[in-house]
Amino acid sequence: MTELHSDLVLDALGLLAVRLDDDLIVREVCGTFLTVPTGTDMREFMPALYGLEDALHAPDAYLTMPFVQIGNDRDEPVALTVRRDPDSGVLWLFLRDVREESEMQRQLVQNHNSLSLAQAELVKARNAAQKADQAKTAFLANVSHELRTPLHVIIGGSSILSKPRDTPLDPQEVTDYALDMHESGVLLLQLVDDLIDLSRSETGNLILYEERCDLTEITRAITALCEDIPEARHTTLQCEVPPHPVWMVADARRIKQILLNLISNAIKAVANLNGGEVTVTLDPALPSLTVADNGPGMSEEEIAIARQPFGQPRAGVRSKGTGLGLSIVDRLVTLHGGEIVFDTAPGKGLAATITFDPERSRNDSKPSQNVS
Amino acid sequence: MKTYKIVVLGDFGVGKTSLIRRYVLDEFSDEYRATLGVHLYKHADTLAGEDIEISLVVWDIEGAPLPSGQTKRYIVGASGAVIVGDMTRDDPFSAMWSAADMFEEALPGRPLCLALNKSDVAVIESPETVTRMKRRYDCNAFETSALTGDCVTPMFHDLARSILARGL
Repeated sequence: MTELHSDLVLDALGLLAVRLDDDLIVREVCGTFLTVPTGTDMREFMPALYGLEDALHAPDAYLTMPFVQIGNDRDEPVALTVRRDPDSGVLWLFLRDVREESEMQRQLVQNHNSLSLAQAELVKARNAAQKADQAKTAFLANVSHELRTPLHVIIGGSSILSKPRDTPLDPQEVTDYALDMHESGVLLLQLVDDLIDLSRSETGNLILYEERCDLTEITRAITALCEDIPEARHTTLQCEVPPHPVWMVADARRIKQILLNLISNAIKAVANLNGGEVTVTLDPALPSLTVADNGPGMSEEEIAIARQPFGQPRAGVRSKGTGLGLSIVDRLVTLHGGEIVFDTAPGKGLAATITFDPERSRNDSKPSQNVS
Repeated sequence: MKTYKIVVLGDFGVGKTSLIRRYVLDEFSDEYRATLGVHLYKHADTLAGEDIEISLVVWDIEGAPLPSGQTKRYIVGASGAVIVGDMTRDDPFSAMWSAADMFEEALPGRPLCLALNKSDVAVIESPETVTRMKRRYDCNAFETSALTGDCVTPMFHDLARSILARGL
């Protein structure tokens, strides 16, 4: 067969045969479906050969790659085979045009992969739904439990007070029962309020009524209010605010709620300490609010649990309160476009810092109605 | 200047092609297009802050949860590997372990690095696994995002530095 004939045959097969020397320089080219000048370094034309130099020096060198695309654009794929002829020792490289089969093959791979990815997404969504369902069930169980405890106190107390008895109750006993029932009623009301807030935030119905408010004034007022919390009797409560107003666009009632939750949590954390301290700091720069205590602190895991509704970070230790405070704080801070960071470790106290979007404290910031 | 072969390995759909195209072409597409066989990208670069020029051929290798026989043939002669995992998946690490084990067994002493990809939408749920992998393969891990470009170039540069440091 003449050289022209062999070129025609190779072209009809979509083939190119290239003879290489040991330095991978092109010495002879048969076929024309690609233009490869003789004398060039084949690695420049076919970068797949980089790194294979040692392997190709072997007397029985042979490698094949069914689909190779080269270049930074989506160039046409080729099949690559390199083999050293065992008799002559000559190194041949073959390129075959695989455009048609590669597109079909690629489509198959694409379909298979897309299906697998979609299936994995479905499994993930199903697992998430199951998890959410379990969380909801656990949540309802918690709600029932939290409702039952104060209800029992009210039912028990009222039953004793209303029951006719031969010997009337001591006036102090009557007062004690009445106080217990009142305290339980207040707790129930707080629990219901918290549940409504939580539910509204979950369903996107928690609305912020924003206005320009003075954080200095709010911080002072709420810190002073917290001095009346019974557990705060032996706690040093400090309020560090600048001597001037710090204006921010926010829902003042919700900011007060956030602060009240954080400060009362901090007071509870140090209530049993000798020398318990809680410091509330307003940094006007961002602005940010920090509530820090010198209590027992928490580990990262405990913080994660405390942020969950009804989360009790310490097994067997129940804190006074609804167990929803921190979850609501989280949602209210997020709704204000802020973030809350906890700096704590076991034995190192806890500092909760809320940072607000600086845009909110700009003079020209406009109040808006944010809905979660 | 010597040209180094770098292979990018991992399960399909984890973002290998996107990472490479972000690094080489500084582009991103969120359309998923499966890679068939291998796609090679030649790229010349300068290591940040060191004025060292490098020439790389980056091999974008068809993804699979477990490396196939063909994958093993593709990695012959590689100077280093990027092992990519999609951090949005329930178990992003199994395929990474398999790919890293295969690479280390085939090419002992060659460096690799871990791309913890899709960091723009995912958090790493098992940092202890990342620590174990880093220790096991004596490598660095990068929280990458082909979408934002976060850590993509630093990761390839880190791998190139490891290759040069080992005199490969």
